[in-house]
Amino acid sequence: MLFRVDPTSTVPLGDQIAASVRRAVAEGAVAPGERLPAARVLAESLGVNVHTVLRGYQRLREEGLIELRRGRGAAITAGASPQRARLLEHVREAVADARDLGMTEDELLALVRGELNA
Amino acid sequence: MTSKNLGRATLAALPFVLALLAELAVHMTVKDRLPARLAVHFEAGGTADGYMGVGAHLLYTATSLLVLGALWAFIGVNGKLYGRSHRWFIGGGFAVAAFLGYLLTAVLFVNVDAPEGGPVDGFPLRHIVVALGAAVLAGALGLAASRLVPAPEDPRDRDPASRDRIVLADGEVAGWARGIGAWWVPVAVLVLLAAGVTVGLAQNWFIGGPLLLLGLVAGTFCRPHVTVDRRGLTVSGLLPRPRVRVPLERMAGADSRAVNALAEYGGWGYRIRPERSGVITRSGEAIVVSLTSGREFAVTVDDSATGAALLNTLLDRQRTGR
Repeated sequence: MLFRVDPTSTVPLGDQIAASVRRAVAEGAVAPGERLPAARVLAESLGVNVHTVLRGYQRLREEGLIELRRGRGAAITAGASPQRARLLEHVREAVADARDLGMTEDELLALVRGELNA
Repeated sequence: MTSKNLGRATLAALPFVLALLAELAVHMTVKDRLPARLAVHFEAGGTADGYMGVGAHLLYTATSLLVLGALWAFIGVNGKLYGRSHRWFIGGGFAVAAFLGYLLTAVLFVNVDAPEGGPVDGFPLRHIVVALGAAVLAGALGLAASRLVPAPEDPRDRDPASRDRIVLADGEVAGWARGIGAWWVPVAVLVLLAAGVTVGLAQNWFIGGPLLLLGLVAGTFCRPHVTVDRRGLTVSGLLPRPRVRVPLERMAGADSRAVNALAEYGGWGYRIRPERSGVITRSGEAIVVSLTSGREFAVTVDDSATGAALLNTLLDRQRTGR
C-alpha cells in the first residue's frame, strides 16, 4: 500500500496517512483482510511520529475501514469496499466545502437529511 | 524445446551423467570384492559409524546424481541465466558433480576387501582434499565447455527512462509497505525448532544449538513485510533486526516482473546465487532491483509494480538531489 504525506500541507499528517489508506481501498489496490504495516514501521518509513500514524489509524477505525486488534495490528475490515471508501471521500469533501461556506453543523445535517427524505 | 535449449540442458546435466557412469563402472569392477554392508558414513577421525547395503548405496548414488542432473538441466534452460552467470552455473555443475562423484566412488574403493565393521584404516582424509581438487579442475573444465553453447542474451530493457514512475509533489514523502507472509514459513520454523531440540537432546548441542538459533531467527520472519521508502528496499520481520536492506545508493533501477523460485533461485527463502540474490517466498511477481554492482536483488511481493515505480521515483529524486 502506497502512503504519501506532504509535511508542508496544512492537512494534519495523521489525516494524510488515513487518506492514503482510503485511496488505496477506493482504487481497489487493497482487499479486505489485508494487514496495514505496524505503526512503528510506517512511522520510521515516512519519518513521522508513531502517535501521528496511530491517530491516522484511529480515524480509519472510526470510519469502519480498518480494525485494530491487540497484538495483531491493523487490518482492512471485511466491509471495506471501494464504494464505501469513495463515499467516505465524498463525505469529507462535502464537510470541507460546507466549512468553507461557513455553514454550521446543523445546516449541513439538515441538507443531508433533506436529501435522504427526498 | 529449441536446439539451443537442448544443448544447454545437455551440457548442464552432462557432468552428473558422467559421474554416474564412472560410479557404475567402478561398481561393476569391484562388485565381487565388496562386503554385503558398505561403510558409508565416517566420523571426523575417519572411523566408520554408518552402514548401507551395496544395492541401497547404488540406488542412493544414482538417485542423487540423477536428481541433481535434472535440476541443473531445468535451471540451465529456465533459470534466466545470462552471459557470464550462465557460464559460472555450468562450471559450478561440473564442480559439484566431480566432488560428489569422487567421494561416492572413493567410498566404494575404501570398502574393497574390507572386513565386516568397516575398512581397517577408515576413510582417509586425503580423499576429501582430492575431491576438492577434482571439483576445482572439473569446474575449470566446465567453464571452458560452457563456451560450446551460446550463452543466452540478456533480453531485459536497461533503459531507466522506460520504467514507470509515481508522480510526487516537491517535498512530498512517500512510502510503500506490503506483507509477504507465506504459509510454509511457520512450518519450516517449527521443523527447525523441533530438529534443534531433537538433535540437541539425542546427539549433542553443538549441532542442536545452532539449529535452534536458526529456527528462532527464522521465527522472527514468520510474517515478513517489504518496505520501500527514502532509505531503500527493506525486508524485515517482527523485530527491527535482523533485516535485509538494499539502500538507494546501491540501486541502478527497479522492475516488476515474474520470477520462478526453483529455476531462477534454486528454491525458497533468502537465496544467494551467482549474480542475483533475493527473498523468495513463491514464484510470481516480484520487485527486481538492478544494483550498481551489476547484481540483482529480488523480493516476491504482490502489487510489485507500485513498489518498483516508487523505487524508480525515489532514485530520480536522489539523482537530481531533491
